[in-house]
Amino acid sequence: MKRRIASILLAGAMVASLTACGNSGGAGQNAGDGAKANELTVWCWDPAFNIYAMEEAAKVYQKDHPDFKLNVVETPWADVQTKLTTAATSKNLDTLPDILLMQDNAFQKNVISYPDAFKDLTGSGVDFSKFPKAKTAYSVVEGKNYGVPFDNGAAIAAYRTDVLKEAGFTDADFTDITWSKYQAMGKEILAKTGKPLLSCTAGESDLIMIMLQSAGGSLFDKDGNPSMVGNDKLKKVIETYVSLVKSGVLVEVNDWDQYVGTMTNSTVAGTINGCWIMASIQTAEDQSGNWAITNIPKLEGVGDATNYSNNGGSSWAVTAGSKNPELAADFLSKTFAGSVPFYETILPKSGALATYLPAADSKVYGEPQEFFGGKPVYAQITEFASKVPSNNTGVYYYEARDAVATAITHVVSGADIDSEIKTAEDTVKFAMGK
Amino acid sequence: MGNSKKKLSLGQKQSLAGWIFLTPAVILIAIMSFLPMIQALFLSFQTGIGAAMKWTGGTNYVRMFKDPVFVQALKNNFIYLIIQVPIMLISALVLASLLNNKDLRFKGLFRTAIFLPCATSLVSYAVIFRSLFAVDGLVNIVLIKLGILSTGYNFLGHPNSARIVIILALIWRWTGYNMVFYLSGLQNIEYSVYEAAKIDGASPFQSFFRITIPLLKPTILLTAIMSTNGTLQLFDESVNLTNGGPANATITMSHYIYNVSFKYVPNFGYAASMSYLILILVAVLAFIQLKVGDKRD
Amino acid sequence: MTKGKKFLAYAFLTVVSVISVFPLYWMMVAATNKSVDVSRGTLIFGTALFDNVKKLFASQNVATALGNSFKYSIIMTFISLLVCSIAGYGFEVFHDKAKDRVMSVILLAMMVPFAATMIPLYRMFSSARLLNSTLGFILPTISTPFLIMMFRQSARSFPSDIMEAARLDGLSEFQIFYRMFLPTMRSTYAAAMTITFMSAWNSYLWPKVIMSDANSITMPMLVANLTEGYVTDYGILMLAVLVCTIPTVIVFFLLQRSFAEGITGAVK
Repeated sequence: MKRRIASILLAGAMVASLTACGNSGGAGQNAGDGAKANELTVWCWDPAFNIYAMEEAAKVYQKDHPDFKLNVVETPWADVQTKLTTAATSKNLDTLPDILLMQDNAFQKNVISYPDAFKDLTGSGVDFSKFPKAKTAYSVVEGKNYGVPFDNGAAIAAYRTDVLKEAGFTDADFTDITWSKYQAMGKEILAKTGKPLLSCTAGESDLIMIMLQSAGGSLFDKDGNPSMVGNDKLKKVIETYVSLVKSGVLVEVNDWDQYVGTMTNSTVAGTINGCWIMASIQTAEDQSGNWAITNIPKLEGVGDATNYSNNGGSSWAVTAGSKNPELAADFLSKTFAGSVPFYETILPKSGALATYLPAADSKVYGEPQEFFGGKPVYAQITEFASKVPSNNTGVYYYEARDAVATAITHVVSGADIDSEIKTAEDTVKFAMGK
Repeated sequence: MGNSKKKLSLGQKQSLAGWIFLTPAVILIAIMSFLPMIQALFLSFQTGIGAAMKWTGGTNYVRMFKDPVFVQALKNNFIYLIIQVPIMLISALVLASLLNNKDLRFKGLFRTAIFLPCATSLVSYAVIFRSLFAVDGLVNIVLIKLGILSTGYNFLGHPNSARIVIILALIWRWTGYNMVFYLSGLQNIEYSVYEAAKIDGASPFQSFFRITIPLLKPTILLTAIMSTNGTLQLFDESVNLTNGGPANATITMSHYIYNVSFKYVPNFGYAASMSYLILILVAVLAFIQLKVGDKRD
Repeated sequence: MTKGKKFLAYAFLTVVSVISVFPLYWMMVAATNKSVDVSRGTLIFGTALFDNVKKLFASQNVATALGNSFKYSIIMTFISLLVCSIAGYGFEVFHDKAKDRVMSVILLAMMVPFAATMIPLYRMFSSARLLNSTLGFILPTISTPFLIMMFRQSARSFPSDIMEAARLDGLSEFQIFYRMFLPTMRSTYAAAMTITFMSAWNSYLWPKVIMSDANSITMPMLVANLTEGYVTDYGILMLAVLVCTIPTVIVFFLLQRSFAEGITGAVK
């Protein structure tokens, strides 16, 4: 009886280890293994968006290359970064896929940290002049192009027209305005409807970075050194932000889910973010027709201020470990960087707004969108995108972002702006080993 | 002595059997843990970006104490350790001895319910905790109704209350887990011991302190070491509940190490040296716990 | 127990249970609602369950993920229990100064954050060509100081007179282990099985790093896939989380009697 228990346990373990060994000898161990001359592997993360776009691109390419095969492995961005770091640090580049999607903000950091991991796409047949300069700038390192731009992160201001109307405003009142006008109207709306105009996640610096970029500002200078102390634009941005919070026009929530909740629950009258936020707004189907989109407010009293900015967005990178780098470059150049019909296919179903300039003239982009009051919002946003000032993310972008977020938290609770900016700069310098 | 070479004495035979028993496990740990740990130790004396590393001696170890974020993280870890671990282990002990009672019904259901939190996916529990403690969340609504607060308090927006939320979340999540070990440990205590104590007039409290705790000592030691280790390496709650905020007030060492490795410009040498500090801290605490608690009578 | 005390115990346990179960209830509610209603904070069962199931199965390979998770977790639990219980038994029953020292050294293995050893480990597994394999998945966590120590601590209550008697009967040391110790320590095995299964089932970082094949997806990876992307569908996400949680709960419920209802004394 007792012997039986033990032998079952042992047998179970034996069978298990046999299966385990059997498996390890099986299918290719590396992402690139077993890759035939006509096959590509891609890592990206959103089935409704970039995965869908990739699969459609494969269909387009297959028309001229019937043997072409594309293998998409769904991998969340955080994991793309972890796996990229792990593989590149341990110098196992052949474990990476042929193409991976990279957040624009992480591009400089990854290319400079792992210069051997990516293929230089300059002169590979991709026509980079067909994209806005501000967009390609994210993936250009030392004059070389490492990324084929994909989705649009142009900043938009979205407003609930029904709430604005209740307070006696229209979305036209919010077009081409400054932040102080925004705050004044916001106060009136708050008094009349009880709804703040804007919400954002505390401890994240998305809104700060949007404001900063709208005036062509950056946290780094041209040589990549932090330039926060004495940066008038940054100081103005922080002052504007704090003043918005104090007036109640901007309400801080603690996380992303609550941020989306403020819109779907109608607790705020609008939002400012990258245009991809529209997908979340549209989940509240009962608010259809009550939203309008316009450009963002601009800073006052600083040079180069505009009503246009950017937040997020991503680009395709070809890895150096790829067995078929030429095929990867050709595939991207004929689809994401060369086919208007391709963009016309993916836009209506996924709302995937491109940065490919020739696509902007397409009729599909001019279609009125019922959810947003029957306006051709896609054409609107494409126009915004062409006016976005370039942004110098720098290699230490994430360090600087977090340092600024910490500074903001302290300033909102009463600390002195200048000394907090100094601390933030010191934090970044410390991370850089200076 | 010459004889023993031909034929092993009973004691030697047993000692040899012991070594054979523990060999597979020890070899696996040596290869899977110690080998990478030694490489990480070498790494901790190097600095550089990405894969380009240079030897820089002990600079990483000096650097971490000049790093305000790391020092803050170190403090936070100790706050969590000192407050959370004792409360959690005592609650787990109380629940386990309550659920070991033969007269109680529905024990299986109670046990499963109390175990549930640690099986609950991090994704959903983080969403729930954050919304419970939001400004317009359930906790604030209740406190306002009770007249304790007049307006909603942003629990996750203030350093101390955010730390308390993390501690509450940890207690909620891991008490049932520790209860499992105590329940299983209690099976080795004959129930008749309790009945005899009861006949002798001992109160439930007295039997708890005089019978349960002494007999569970090996298990308590196990859970104490595990919890110390787990708390000093705390990662999930810092990332998912507060994202280290507000302004790094709740960030943990492991969270910061992760940032330095994967979020920021990767600096694995620095990450490795901070990891070794955690090793030293846990090792010292575990050593003390073993000295105090690991005596065979 | 007097009636009053019993009532108090029930009341206390009920309160603790309700607090513990609440998130599961919320998950069930969320799984039956549309995403927008979940983000609006509903606490009432909705009617979108069927829709969510359809969308979840359309967008993710749930069957593969469940199959893989079961495969990895069951294999891991069996091998791990076997290796660690023998070792824990060896450490305690045959303890001497040298073995106690080895035990203390082994404990060090769990004290370094995984982020630090991941890269060397990855390099090792990559050159051993163990990426994308079951063996690669389980190997680093088969032998854990924690399980070894757990069995060592519980072996302390294994009566030595049983062993002496068995030795007089001519049983070998290994026979004593699997004929005497293994059945006696059923409660420890059951508890260890629950814990090991759960940690194998929920493991994420290491599997994610070495598995880059769409066919080797596990349930936690599937859940992670659903949280990424520009829009999170909370209804579908919580349905997936529910599917990911239930197996561990069932394993616990089935095993809890074995480690909590005193089936000791199985030894004659």
